Amino acid sequence: MQDVIPEKAGSGTPVPEPGGPSPLRRAGRALTPLLWLGPSLALIAVVVVWPVIEMVRTSLLKISSSGVTLGGRGAGNYTDLFDEEDLVPVILRTLGWVAGIVIVTMALSLALGQLLNARFPGRRVVRWAVIVPWAASVLMTSLIWKWMLDNYSGLVNRVLLDLHVIDKPVNWLAHPREAMLWMMWVAVFVSLPFASFVILAGLQTIPAEIYEAARVDGAGPLRTYLGITLPLLRPAIMIASIINVINVFNSFPIIWAMTGGGPGHATDTTTTFMYKLAFYDQNVGESAAMAVVNFVLILVMVLLYLRASRWREEVR
Amino acid sequence: MKRHLIGAIAAGLTVALGVSGCGKGSSSDDGGSDGKSITFVAAIYDDNTKPYWDGLIKDFEAKNSGYKVRLEMVDWTQMDAKVKTYVQTKQVPDVLNYNAFSDFARDGLIYKASDVVSPAVLSDFTPTFVEQAKYNGEQYGLPFISSARLLFYNKDLFKKAGITNPPATWDEVKSDAEKIKKAGSIGYGLPLGPEESQAEFFSWAMNNGGGWVDASGKWVINQPANVDTLTFLKGLNKAGLTQPNPESTDRKTVFNQFAQGKIGMAIGGPFTKAGFIDPVNKSLNFGVAPLPSKSGSEHNTLGVMDVLAAFKKNDGKNKEAVKKFLDYFYQRENTSKFLTKEGFLPVTKSAGDALSADPYMKQFVDALPTSKFAPTSNPAWTAVAGAVKQDLGGSVADKDPKKVLDGIQKTAEKSG
Repeated sequence: MQDVIPEKAGSGTPVPEPGGPSPLRRAGRALTPLLWLGPSLALIAVVVVWPVIEMVRTSLLKISSSGVTLGGRGAGNYTDLFDEEDLVPVILRTLGWVAGIVIVTMALSLALGQLLNARFPGRRVVRWAVIVPWAASVLMTSLIWKWMLDNYSGLVNRVLLDLHVIDKPVNWLAHPREAMLWMMWVAVFVSLPFASFVILAGLQTIPAEIYEAARVDGAGPLRTYLGITLPLLRPAIMIASIINVINVFNSFPIIWAMTGGGPGHATDTTTTFMYKLAFYDQNVGESAAMAVVNFVLILVMVLLYLRASRWREEVR
Repeated sequence: MKRHLIGAIAAGLTVALGVSGCGKGSSSDDGGSDGKSITFVAAIYDDNTKPYWDGLIKDFEAKNSGYKVRLEMVDWTQMDAKVKTYVQTKQVPDVLNYNAFSDFARDGLIYKASDVVSPAVLSDFTPTFVEQAKYNGEQYGLPFISSARLLFYNKDLFKKAGITNPPATWDEVKSDAEKIKKAGSIGYGLPLGPEESQAEFFSWAMNNGGGWVDASGKWVINQPANVDTLTFLKGLNKAGLTQPNPESTDRKTVFNQFAQGKIGMAIGGPFTKAGFIDPVNKSLNFGVAPLPSKSGSEHNTLGVMDVLAAFKKNDGKNKEAVKKFLDYFYQRENTSKFLTKEGFLPVTKSAGDALSADPYMKQFVDALPTSKFAPTSNPAWTAVAGAVKQDLGGSVADKDPKKVLDGIQKTAEKSG
């Protein structure tokens, strides 16, 4: 320690200061942790902070359709954005999309995590199988589902026709409501592995003695689950759902590959809408404004969630 | 406690950004500023494109020692995003193969055509295309390839439905579609999904006296002739004469069904045979006819043109190398080789004859003089086309054609 501090202080002081511990030296001591934190701070600055600044800056610029920056535009991009009549439906749809997917994913992954934690022959195979949708590219999964739902040669129509559930092919992805539900299903499908493995990890941290104590006290399975498993899983559930919220909120490939946000804007979420503003409407500035709004929305949602789940008590 | 919260937020943001930060492609570095190395960004039309350019560049470099061309191939689906990135990061290529040029010209990014090709090449371009390559009366774009649209019809289905000739009027289209439907197939394949609805719509509207702009170049997207056109197409859809959900169908789907003999009629281009029909069903018995018009008296075709654009770089030091390369490409045998390989129509007089030998291609070459173009020389066109792609399809489903066109007109006026 001792030989690091003078070195650090020396590098931070242009004027050499002979003698005892001066204020500068003390400042140097306070700055020492920076030496270790430096690399990760630099990484965060470059990978996180800088893009955010760049995004906000772009949202205030006037950018020509060719891509040339034509100068500042003040809040013009934002007023344009809030004038879009599709904006409010898109945001509401995004919130519904996130809530629907995350709730269903968490419910299913609680069950799945429990299953993966149970001892049964072939458990290893099942655990691997659950990882598959995660390991496969989301785009690939979406395209496969798109073809399965195809009006003319899709597997889903074939099966439903053969089972006499429907009497003529349904063009699933052309009708906004059906398309939305199918895409949410795909999103649940690709979110499940991560969520269930976080739950599984959570389950494995619960000491067996607690269950034993509950059994001794005569608690039934339901009581045990509600009284012990669920409360102790709270950190795992929280982490899994926050990451899931952020992931799903920003999910672009599923919607883009399956419906392209169409027909019209009927299945757009904020991310696909943002893309369309930049590349269909040729308005990069307005698209950046949308990105800022999106960013703020995620931030607010995560903060509200943390507050609702009383995060602070948890970390204590 | 607060620190934990901040930490959690930071972690959350990291994930959020990590998730959303994908998709920004690698950007190119220019090949040096000696003025002898240039970068050429070419669009991928099909599997033949890259071998063609590789060969051409090799020959060019062999004949012009010291000059280097770095080739970058970009898929059409990535092209718009890539081009925007090039311009925004100031890493433009020297030569770009694209479908628009006028906003580059407006923003002073590209050379005039006369600066980068020899007078001989300049005078070889077909005048129709030169008109489309102008911005403010000056030619900036270098016509590269062109294409036209005609009505494809399935001869077997027509026979089965008891129809002898392809339809010339809209009424005939409707009655033929009804007959085909009665015979158990889909009458007309209408792709009004976001992929290229502007082309499909314009192919119909221009044959009803409609279009995007009036004679003075003002936007007239919500004019009665256009509303009339959409109402007709909506009628076809509502009567069940088209495939289901035209508003979310792309050309690929339509021509896949057409090739399987399930659709009676659809509008396609010269590339349709090699690109869509042959891979599915080489023995399909189909014919090609002029686009039907409302009155049946005159038949226009949709002309489409892609261009090469030469970007200003290093204070004009790249001009000489660019000119050498472009003049080399525009030599007769080089251009016609590209066209025959890719199935496109010529933009130069000298390459014209080579294609007319093929009877299938000849029909399209012959249709070129009647072609009408989208207003690509207006810098706002790309944004208008974007609005059309997103919104137009809805008009044949549940939205009111007039209202949809009013909305697009508003976008057009706002864009300039």
